[in-house]
Amino acid sequence: MKFLVCLKQVPDSTVRTKVASDGKSIVTEGITWSISPYDEYAIEVALEHKDSDASTTVSVVTVGPQRSRDALRQALAMGCDDATLVTADDKVAGLDVAKALAAIVKDAKPDLVLCGKQASDDDQGLVGPALAEALGWPHVGMLTKVAAGGDGVELWREIEGGHEVWTAPLPVVGLVHKSAKEPRYPSLPGIMKAKKKEIPEKDLAGLGVTPSAPRVEIIAMEPPPQRGGGKILKADGDVKALAAELARLLHEEAKVL
Amino acid sequence: MKILIVAERRDGELRRVTLEIAAKATAFGDAEVVEVTGTDRYHPVAHAKAVADHAKSSGADVVLAGATLNGRDLAARVAAKLSWAYAADCTDASAKDGAFLVKRPMYAGKVRATLRVPTPAVLSIRPGAWTLPSGAGDVKPTAIAADASGEALKFARFEPTATSGKRVSLSEARVIVSGGRGLKGPENWKLVEELADVLGAATGASRAVTDAGWRPNEEQVGQTGKTVTPDLYIALGISGAIQHLAGMTSSKVIVAVNKDPDADIFKIADYGVVGDVFEFVPAFTEAVKKTKAGAS
Repeated sequence: MKFLVCLKQVPDSTVRTKVASDGKSIVTEGITWSISPYDEYAIEVALEHKDSDASTTVSVVTVGPQRSRDALRQALAMGCDDATLVTADDKVAGLDVAKALAAIVKDAKPDLVLCGKQASDDDQGLVGPALAEALGWPHVGMLTKVAAGGDGVELWREIEGGHEVWTAPLPVVGLVHKSAKEPRYPSLPGIMKAKKKEIPEKDLAGLGVTPSAPRVEIIAMEPPPQRGGGKILKADGDVKALAAELARLLHEEAKVL
Repeated sequence: MKILIVAERRDGELRRVTLEIAAKATAFGDAEVVEVTGTDRYHPVAHAKAVADHAKSSGADVVLAGATLNGRDLAARVAAKLSWAYAADCTDASAKDGAFLVKRPMYAGKVRATLRVPTPAVLSIRPGAWTLPSGAGDVKPTAIAADASGEALKFARFEPTATSGKRVSLSEARVIVSGGRGLKGPENWKLVEELADVLGAATGASRAVTDAGWRPNEEQVGQTGKTVTPDLYIALGISGAIQHLAGMTSSKVIVAVNKDPDADIFKIADYGVVGDVFEFVPAFTEAVKKTKAGAS
């Protein structure tokens, strides 16, 4: 089976995000960039198939600025076979990203396209469904598992209380929520191999994409309201009294009981 | 402005978020509430087609859906189908000069952004973002039919997760009791559940707990899990990794119980109890029972 995983490089999840002085972007100097967590899960889902079937290939692609090359390199080091960088300004709209990815897909002809369910920077979750729409393919979101079944694949979609199992003939787009195992770390031989691989570069114009999506503009950003100065209660032996005191505070002061 | 609201049901009843949106949307213009029928369950392709077709034929300027699992999935594909502007998981929206100003979390909740979204647009609205006014009128959605019979994508079966009993949905719960690694193992989850039962709460968990398989993935709160904004969030034995905090820091009131006085969760808690969860929680469950009995 031939997988294509679409990924995005985002600020690492451990970064303490700060709003920049322009009041509508975040400070990016000196921060660590990583593959968006859900995209890492998508890579892991694909690589787990490759583990059990050596004929499986896993390609990765991203649409983003030059720094995204590091994220592709990371994916290669995890075990992906090849990578493509589509260079674009990091403000490029989701619908235009989807069009660029659709052009890549038409050329690469994968059986399965996987994306993380959303990138953990804008958290929109638009590109995956929009890519499926641009291709005229079905999509299934919240995936935790892809297995052989039906006329093609079984797609396990996590919802409240369990999983919906959908079947679709290939090709199909899947939006990954979690992988069975935690995403693997690159091995040392993997890192060495990844260093030697060429990462071909394309751009939007070369793919026949003229940005045309409606412009959603960020006009302000602020940190969430600061919390703190809460009451700290210590258990000094009498746990029952302490429990009663907390219940009283929640009832009388916070008015949430 | 013409507003199209996509209704959603849970167990036969309209979801609260549908009522919240319907009550608020009258402030933007003429609102029509529709419900997609004709399929046994949400179908990602067929439902998007039905909604997009109706949006076009009815001349809607904006489509609003709840930012639920299905609502977010639907809204994204509808926006793509129509090539309309899109904003997901909005915590507020107001109409201004033919566009919407929306507020929404970004960077997994570490930032709150204000966006200008030109119309026509598709917005998904976070459950609980708009409070439902008391005495809000009945909502009677118009049925629009989806046809999934010709779709290659087919629903095969449902595989339930083995969890104890039926609880309120985490994303819409007004009270959440979450457990972390401090509970030491899945066998101790009855502490979380007993407290949740007394409070009528949903149960949540930290990533360490769901990764260890103590609890199902769907209970994970935080980055790569659910972002929640209940009135009361009770964190039991959760240290407060930045990824967990991102998912619950907008809760109205936060209570934390942890034996480590330096745990990061205390920095954002309104009420912190430094103590042993195994001693404190059973006593607190009893105290809540008494308070509730006294209050009613």
